[in-house]
Amino acid sequence: MPDDLEFYQLSGLTVIFLFIAFYGGTFLVSAYIGKKRENADGYMTAGNKLGFGVSAASMTATWIWAASMYASATSGYTYGVSGPLHYGLWGALMILFIYPFGKRIRAVAPRAHTLAEVMHARHGRSSQLMLAGSNIVGSVISLTSNFIAGGALVSLLSPFTFGQGVIGVAAGVLIYTLWSGFRASVLTDFMQVVAMLGAVVVIIPAVFIAAGGTGMFEQGAENLTPQQLDFFSSDAFLNQGAPYIAAVLAYAIGNQTIAQRLFAVREDLIKKTFVTATIGYGATVIGIGMLGVMALYLGIDPTGGDLNNLIPQMASTFLGPILLGVFFIMILGSLSSTADSDLSALSSIMMADVYGKNIVSKNKKPSPQRMLLVGRITMIIATAAGLYFASGGLNILDLLVFVGALWGALVFPVIASFYWPKVTNTAFTVSVLAALAVFIPVRFEWFSMAGATGYVFDVVSVVGVGVVLGLMAFGFFGLKPARIVGLVAALASAPFVIGFLHDYTVLTASLVAYAVSTIVCYLMSVRSTQNFDFDLIKQRVGDYDASLEPVDPSASK
Amino acid sequence: MDPILLAIYVLIWPIIVAGVLIVLCAAFFKDWRQARKDGRMIV
Repeated sequence: MPDDLEFYQLSGLTVIFLFIAFYGGTFLVSAYIGKKRENADGYMTAGNKLGFGVSAASMTATWIWAASMYASATSGYTYGVSGPLHYGLWGALMILFIYPFGKRIRAVAPRAHTLAEVMHARHGRSSQLMLAGSNIVGSVISLTSNFIAGGALVSLLSPFTFGQGVIGVAAGVLIYTLWSGFRASVLTDFMQVVAMLGAVVVIIPAVFIAAGGTGMFEQGAENLTPQQLDFFSSDAFLNQGAPYIAAVLAYAIGNQTIAQRLFAVREDLIKKTFVTATIGYGATVIGIGMLGVMALYLGIDPTGGDLNNLIPQMASTFLGPILLGVFFIMILGSLSSTADSDLSALSSIMMADVYGKNIVSKNKKPSPQRMLLVGRITMIIATAAGLYFASGGLNILDLLVFVGALWGALVFPVIASFYWPKVTNTAFTVSVLAALAVFIPVRFEWFSMAGATGYVFDVVSVVGVGVVLGLMAFGFFGLKPARIVGLVAALASAPFVIGFLHDYTVLTASLVAYAVSTIVCYLMSVRSTQNFDFDLIKQRVGDYDASLEPVDPSASK
Repeated sequence: MDPILLAIYVLIWPIIVAGVLIVLCAAFFKDWRQARKDGRMIV
């Protein structure tokens, strides 16, 4: 297929109709549940008692964003048949691995609104602001990425420009989220997940059939390298899968959109919700990745050499106008559901962590109405910031790398703070800063890894491997098995890592962040005399708005 | 690799997605009915 192939485009009127139908529908739903006087706690977590259907749909919709669809297809196109698995499977496990920690976090702080708020109750201001700050940066980046995806979609598949697409998406999301916040976000997520998953069910088989069915695999096998044909490709694992495994815990722990849903769902439904979202996310994203695998077999070159064009290109090549409209709604649903969650996450952080814990004086109770005002103003400012960054004002990729590392550095101190009473505020803060101080020069290659330096960082990376796998095992099986898994993982990986891994900078930097924060946090805490009483967190974190009915205690296990 | 196996590999995902979609819709309408019965909003 020639590089300069033009996309089949939807007409301007069709795109306007799709925008009005999609955002008009979500706005009507939002208006239906809107209250003249919203409740501050409902605005942040919907009163901590969401049912399974709403929470599982919302978790699935939030975690599937446009970038994950594009990245999975890119992985399929680049690494062949195993590529989508190395993106989607680890991303799905990200949700699964967090649920045991989620149950513990929820048991310790049943009525919290943000994870940073719990850190304030556990440690104090510096730990809270570190987590809140990373959440803010992460959510603004995510918001921006979704606006960019919306602009790109509109410019590729319609006569409208990128800028017009960005403004249309930003305005559409803000309008339906602004008044009712998280409540609007989760309810519209259900509509969006139905649109997205329904589209996936139809589009993948439709493209498969239109592209020639099994014939494309017979005729196109020569387009793939042996690595791309291999289900156990080492290329795919080392370049895509392994760095992503290292990131899974970091993103799940550091992302306020996940924490918000964790605090919103009824406590006895946490496991069911997270397991369903794991399967839903995994199947959807891996399924979309198959478009990349099919493109590879068909010998399709992405237009303009840009792999982000691959999915729209496949859709416009193999789908008729109606299914192309369905595809348009699928991408719009994926980016809007995540963008509205980002807005809700940002507003909660500003309401609870900035206004509630740091602006209102210690002896005063924050005003729920003023909190709502803060939340709504935050959404407007965040949307404006997203629009600015989407227009190219800042390097999103650099920021994404930075916030990913910040979250990696936070994982052990955050998890340990929920289980180990010895962890102090100083240990938390110093360990995160130390991890960042080592991560940044490694990630941005400020010095050479030649000679002994590379070996030193390989050894630290081995510790990082042990920490990541040990933490994953800890959530499910407890401390003793986690220690064994961590030790075995470190020892088993050492021969393959030492002398080799420092060439893979992204992976090395992530593992180093885990290792340094863990070592420093452990060494500073192990001799501490502090014996924190976790029951204090329940007393310190509660509702802001008395107008909300209390949670049914029988729902707690 | 056998083209039939590859076809199954490609098409299994939308089938799983369809299953999840059914579960989510059934659970949502159960939540909705319960909320109506209790005289409250679903969220």
